[in-house]
Amino acid sequence: MFELLFKYPYTVYQKGSLVLQTGWSVWWWVAATLLAAAVVGWLLFRQWNNGKRAKAIVLWTLQSMMIAIVLLLLWQPGMRIATLKPQQNIVAVLLDDSKSMGLAEDGSTRREEMIKTLEGGLADGLKKKFQVRFYKMGARLERSADWKGLTAQAPVSRLSDGLAQIAAESASLPIGALIVMSDGGDTAGGVDRQTLATLRSRRFPVHTIGYGRERAEKDIALMDVQTPARALADSRLGVTVSFQQRGFAGQKAKIVVSENGKTLTAKDVTLAADGAPQVENLLFNAGNAGPKTVQVAVQVLNGETNTGNNALTRLVQVDSRKPRILYIEGEPRWEFKFIRRALEEDRSINLVTLLRTTQNKIYRQGINTPTELEGGFPSTLDELFAFEGVIIGNVEANYFTPTQVELLQQFVDRRGGGLLFLGGRTTLADGGYGASPLAELLPVNPGERRTTFQRDRATVELTTAGRESIYARLDEDPTKNVERWKKLPYLADFQAAGTLKPGAVVLAEAITEKKGRLPLWIIQNYGRGRTAVLATSGTWRWQMSQPLEDKSHEVFWQQLSRWLVGATPGRVVAAMTRTVFSDERTIPLRAEVRNKQYLPLTDAKVEARISGPGGVAVTVELQPDPVSPGVFLGEWGAEKPGSYLVEMYATRAGEEVGRDTVSFRREDGVSEAFHSEQDRETLERLSTQTGGRYWTPNGVKRLPEEITYSEAGITTREVKDLWNIPIVFLVLALLRGSEWLLRRKWGAV
Amino acid sequence: MRKFRPLIIALLLGLLVWSALYAQRRTRRGMDFPFQESEDAPMPNDADEKTEFAFARLKYPNWKSNDRMWSMRGSWSIDYPKADRQFVQGVRRLSRLHVRSVEHVVDLESDEIFNWPWIYAVEAGHWDLTDAQCKKLREYLLKGGFIMTDDFHGSMEWDIFMLSMKRVFPDREMVDIPNRDPIFQVVYDLDKRFQVPGIVNYPFDQTYEYDGVKDNWRGIYDDKGRLMVGACHNMDLGDAWEWADSPQYPERYASLAYRIGINYIIYAMSH
Repeated sequence: MFELLFKYPYTVYQKGSLVLQTGWSVWWWVAATLLAAAVVGWLLFRQWNNGKRAKAIVLWTLQSMMIAIVLLLLWQPGMRIATLKPQQNIVAVLLDDSKSMGLAEDGSTRREEMIKTLEGGLADGLKKKFQVRFYKMGARLERSADWKGLTAQAPVSRLSDGLAQIAAESASLPIGALIVMSDGGDTAGGVDRQTLATLRSRRFPVHTIGYGRERAEKDIALMDVQTPARALADSRLGVTVSFQQRGFAGQKAKIVVSENGKTLTAKDVTLAADGAPQVENLLFNAGNAGPKTVQVAVQVLNGETNTGNNALTRLVQVDSRKPRILYIEGEPRWEFKFIRRALEEDRSINLVTLLRTTQNKIYRQGINTPTELEGGFPSTLDELFAFEGVIIGNVEANYFTPTQVELLQQFVDRRGGGLLFLGGRTTLADGGYGASPLAELLPVNPGERRTTFQRDRATVELTTAGRESIYARLDEDPTKNVERWKKLPYLADFQAAGTLKPGAVVLAEAITEKKGRLPLWIIQNYGRGRTAVLATSGTWRWQMSQPLEDKSHEVFWQQLSRWLVGATPGRVVAAMTRTVFSDERTIPLRAEVRNKQYLPLTDAKVEARISGPGGVAVTVELQPDPVSPGVFLGEWGAEKPGSYLVEMYATRAGEEVGRDTVSFRREDGVSEAFHSEQDRETLERLSTQTGGRYWTPNGVKRLPEEITYSEAGITTREVKDLWNIPIVFLVLALLRGSEWLLRRKWGAV
Repeated sequence: MRKFRPLIIALLLGLLVWSALYAQRRTRRGMDFPFQESEDAPMPNDADEKTEFAFARLKYPNWKSNDRMWSMRGSWSIDYPKADRQFVQGVRRLSRLHVRSVEHVVDLESDEIFNWPWIYAVEAGHWDLTDAQCKKLREYLLKGGFIMTDDFHGSMEWDIFMLSMKRVFPDREMVDIPNRDPIFQVVYDLDKRFQVPGIVNYPFDQTYEYDGVKDNWRGIYDDKGRLMVGACHNMDLGDAWEWADSPQYPERYASLAYRIGINYIIYAMSH
């Protein structure tokens, strides 16, 4: 239609520039138009001045417009545009050869549809005008004589790499345009900015032809699976599974988390509406130390078109370390005994306790040597920083020296440790914390009122945040968990902890008879670490007043202790951007190194010792990041798919600073299955941003003609006349016809 | 008849000597006996204070016997309440434990016992727990409770004590607590212990009763090596607490009894 009216393709108008071929100034045309309009107006208004002024204006407008157009034609307007010289330019055709092109839809595969397009006239049409080069696009871009070698077996389609390679070749080749025939599933991260900038600077129009359904008919597709990258042994881990489905709304499906075929946990879910993102949370036990390869899968349902996108793999590094928690208790309390007992059953936590039994005696338990902590609570940085977490029981604020208070602050802020305050008759507000520098560390403002601790019963209820926290899970099922908390025996006591600080989160509330609801379990992040208040010393009743086999008390304290120390870093922290690298070979390595005072260490030597499948064993030296002190960076190319173990090892002046272990997994071809729907948006964006167009396979007939108008390659400039385009005559006829009709109606003919 | 005359004279002389000795014994236990039991212990002003710890005294059913005298002896309330109140005064003074000034009596009939993870049973050689009570005591101890038994003497009382205890823990042995066990170190170092006599031994030229010559420090451990039962056999710590304020009761016995009691409580609150 456009060409019928405007004679030339839209591209001519889009890319060309308007010129007046007579060379006369446009101002002369303006002047002539105004003069003619004035003459016409004078004649009209002289005739139509007896109450017909409005009608005269309409007629004058129509006539003036017609005169303006006719006069413009005298100036010979035209579109100046660059066109590719026939047979002197190359058109590069990139053919997607990845696995997703092998998906069958409506009886034929995408690869077959692509070949049909080429053989249906596109290839011949291109060859008439240009030299055509075909490239197979998979993990690498390969030159191909034609499309006959396509297998749709490449594990990945690297669109960005392919375009970058063509852009590089164009330095010595007259490439006039690029055609990408694909389903748009670039599984290697999309077209990067640099490649896009290069294409634009070379003025390569990229035309894209999209294949495949934009929406699957029947499919369940995992979108993301999130698990912690590392955990302590026996920790309870949360898995957040995001997925969507089409064609199975309302049906039941099962999500299974497994390791080496052994089910760790499973959950039955009802599938949401078509296309609606669905998020489910599952919990499982981290088990023994070591790298753990966890597969998360949504059960395949009958009739699914793509079963390759139902499962994802994640790697969890289960640490063998046994973090040490120091618990100081100001007086003998039942809570002390039962916390000790709960954590004694946890093989991943090492609890060291200091109990003030008399005015001048401290009873130590869990110490490594007879002299450890013989002076009581640590008063040196080395002593305190040997722990990952600290619990302060019923200890009055002024028991701590100013040095110890400062150490505690550094312990959380710089060391990244966890600090938990328990309720008690001489702690928090009742212990003078409101007027102590320790108040800075609390997630609450305790105030200075001294009667906040009550030995009265209180029940516990989770808040919204508590219901969502995995640390507050006594039962894996969220609904049952809430009920289980409600059914816990009452606490022996409670304390009004104070007012919440900004950023503090209440996980549980105490329900009391006289004081109503009070924040009970409050957490916050502080510096590199975290602090919390548990405003009671009465959870021991959960142990004594429930059946022997009930483990609520133990689980609660084990979970809480993991919150306390699970994220406490060591002096060397190895980090990966993610644990699974799908179709990516370059693995970024990062380590953060600190000295004994936990200040950034810049002059360390940091090595990554990598071991992997097939006996791979290499050492990569990491280099200091000039921007971030204490951070060391590197990268390594992992060629073989499989699981890798990386031990980051830091030394300074020949002495070991520390070491840390992380793991990652390399996969090939898995992510292809997760891009089974045509990504039209990516293809359209690529075309739009480079001056090309997105085409459907059925509409490519005019593509060879359109490619002609390109500024890349060897071009010639030509001017296309506009005086004879049909739209001009149509407009003139419309103007004249309208005037005639109006005159006839108004009786002026 | 003449033939039996020496025997009759010997018997008469023996009767005479026994009479003289018996008369002396009566005198010692009569108006000169300085330890007069009284149940009228004054109620402290802070008796209602809510505290972390209270001296929980176990009320139990008595052993039934055909021997009337034997059946009468022994009761859960021996030394009650003076021993309890006097002992906790010492606990208050000598430790940081927040203790109530008055005792709390618990039994194994209700679940109230689970609010008191440390209990004291006196004259345990005279208890006779029912099966249901044995089951509850077992559950209590396995959950983390602790029982201290005291003031039972000799092999017969031990056997009776064990008849119930064996039904509480048929699968666990009662063993001697080694000196190195934390219960003897947690507050006071109690490596050198000795028999603490009851007032029945006044004037304490003898410290044992019946055939309980040697003081026994026994206990039952849980699977993690923590004591659940502390059986103080052949001694009477309760009397020592009760009469610690008496000039006639030797200080060294009272001191040891306090130290033992405090160690047993603090151990139970830390293990």
